Amino acid sequence: MSDKPAPRPSLPEERLAVASMALLLLITLLNVVTRYATDESVGWTEEVSVFLMVVLTLSGASAVARRDSHIRIELFLNRRAADGTETPRRGLKLLGALATSFTFMLLAALFALWVFDQFRYSETSMGLGIPLWWYGLIIPPLCLAISVRAFGVFLRALK
Amino acid sequence: MIAALLLLSFFTLMLLGVPIAVGLALSALMCIVVANWDAQMFGLLAGPQNFYSAIAKYPLLALPMFVLVGSIFDRSGVAQRMVTFAIACVGRGPGMLPTVAILVAMVLGGISGSGPANAAAVGGVMIAAMARAGYPPAFSATVVGAAAATDILIPPSIAFVVYSVLVPGASVPAMFAAGMIPGIMAGIALIAPAVWLSRRHKFGQQEAAIPRPPFWASLREASWGLAAPFLILGGMRLGWFTPTEAAAVAVAYGLFVGLFIHRSIGWRDLYAIFREACEISAVIMIILGAAGIFSYAINTLGVADPIASWVKAAGLGSQGTLALVLLALLVVSMFIDGVSIFLIFVPLLYPVALAFQWDLVWFGVLLTLVVAKAQFTPPMAVNLMVSCRMAGVRMEATLPWVLWFIASFIVMIAAVFFYPELALWLPRRLGY
Repeated sequence: MSDKPAPRPSLPEERLAVASMALLLLITLLNVVTRYATDESVGWTEEVSVFLMVVLTLSGASAVARRDSHIRIELFLNRRAADGTETPRRGLKLLGALATSFTFMLLAALFALWVFDQFRYSETSMGLGIPLWWYGLIIPPLCLAISVRAFGVFLRALK
Repeated sequence: MIAALLLLSFFTLMLLGVPIAVGLALSALMCIVVANWDAQMFGLLAGPQNFYSAIAKYPLLALPMFVLVGSIFDRSGVAQRMVTFAIACVGRGPGMLPTVAILVAMVLGGISGSGPANAAAVGGVMIAAMARAGYPPAFSATVVGAAAATDILIPPSIAFVVYSVLVPGASVPAMFAAGMIPGIMAGIALIAPAVWLSRRHKFGQQEAAIPRPPFWASLREASWGLAAPFLILGGMRLGWFTPTEAAAVAVAYGLFVGLFIHRSIGWRDLYAIFREACEISAVIMIILGAAGIFSYAINTLGVADPIASWVKAAGLGSQGTLALVLLALLVVSMFIDGVSIFLIFVPLLYPVALAFQWDLVWFGVLLTLVVAKAQFTPPMAVNLMVSCRMAGVRMEATLPWVLWFIASFIVMIAAVFFYPELALWLPRRLGY
């Protein structure tokens, strides 16, 4: 919805998100084509698509966290200047960034434990029968990335 | 006790401007710790499990795909061609350009699924055109902002996809079908005040002097865009593809039209288009994940059932309660954006809806109508924000006009409230 896309540096997690989206599109289209061509659906696509969707969500959220533009209620957050422009109150901006950083740090740790359990009990996936932790392994680092990006917002606001 | 802690901590965090996803996850995790103080790891492992399972749902794939459809069709150049064709259809005269803006927003709503994107696409073409024809910018911004609100009603709609992921028993095709008639009615409810206000204030007098575009030539130009809703909705109806696949096919179609037919998209733009779609999807889906933890907390800590039984004991009856819920949401939705309304309130209201045996499809349509109205009701109005920025006016300037549109839209909501068949007839007819 940005009407004038300003050039901004491309982040690694942003490229990961774009690649996931492109792969999701290709896999879904492939599914349509193969179903009509060979009259059977490709079983593994569902599992891989779901995994890519999780990657897309977390990596995209990290890129958005970098710009501090996640959805929030701006009713009390912003202070209105005389010229009508709105800027966030510094204290609340710091609070939001710190809360984001803490929450995703916690989630990264919890996801790490969860993935470790999957590894310990050698759980396998339903569709492909591969170890679940192969998929899970990418989640804690991505949560950590969101945490780090939010902490960066905190530090920049602090200065 | 824990119930109060959960809701209080969440609403406090939300009002302090903490991102909604963070507010949901943090308050839920905190309450899980308090409730499971003696358990291993404080029961916190439920957090990642529920976060993951809320996102890792195959039907949810329709969401990023339809977001991508919207991002592509925004830039595929179909909006301009549809406007030309619509003018050729309805002709020139006072009130005709606003009508065109609303009709085109409705057809584009049948391709993309998000209001602000639609407002940007229609506003990019219509606001300048209406200014040339003598409509005041604040009026044009109002028309475009309100018109784009039909987007989340007319299928395919991202709001319906989110709702059906949250509510078992309301399938995506059923929601899409249920939104069709209310969506068209919403368009009519907006055209009426637009034409009446234009006539009364003698707007667009210069419009009649501008030549009318030739019908057949503009139809040929617009046909690529006009075919898209038929491809998406018809393909789903005929069982060619699932909603998700329909979206993927529409993406391919939109890219083909943009890259090769209208040549409005270059290969270099693809990265920016995908990036935009990724970020819009991620912002919604991260809240969905956090809402997964939150609704786990609501269900296991026994928050929702007391609310449901309390509401039921209040003795307002089914209709009275629903009316009250909708009124409350009309107020709340002025401050919280649409998708968040669904993610926060649907888990809370679901037990209430079950207790009163409200039809879940009808309830979803009513919620969506409320959210659609909120999209052009100041001060939060996301669509109006976009169209005001494009018209270069402040949102306050739209107040004399937008109140008429809001009033007309509320009458429409009341109609669907009193005549549920308006929403439920089509899905039943189609057998969903």
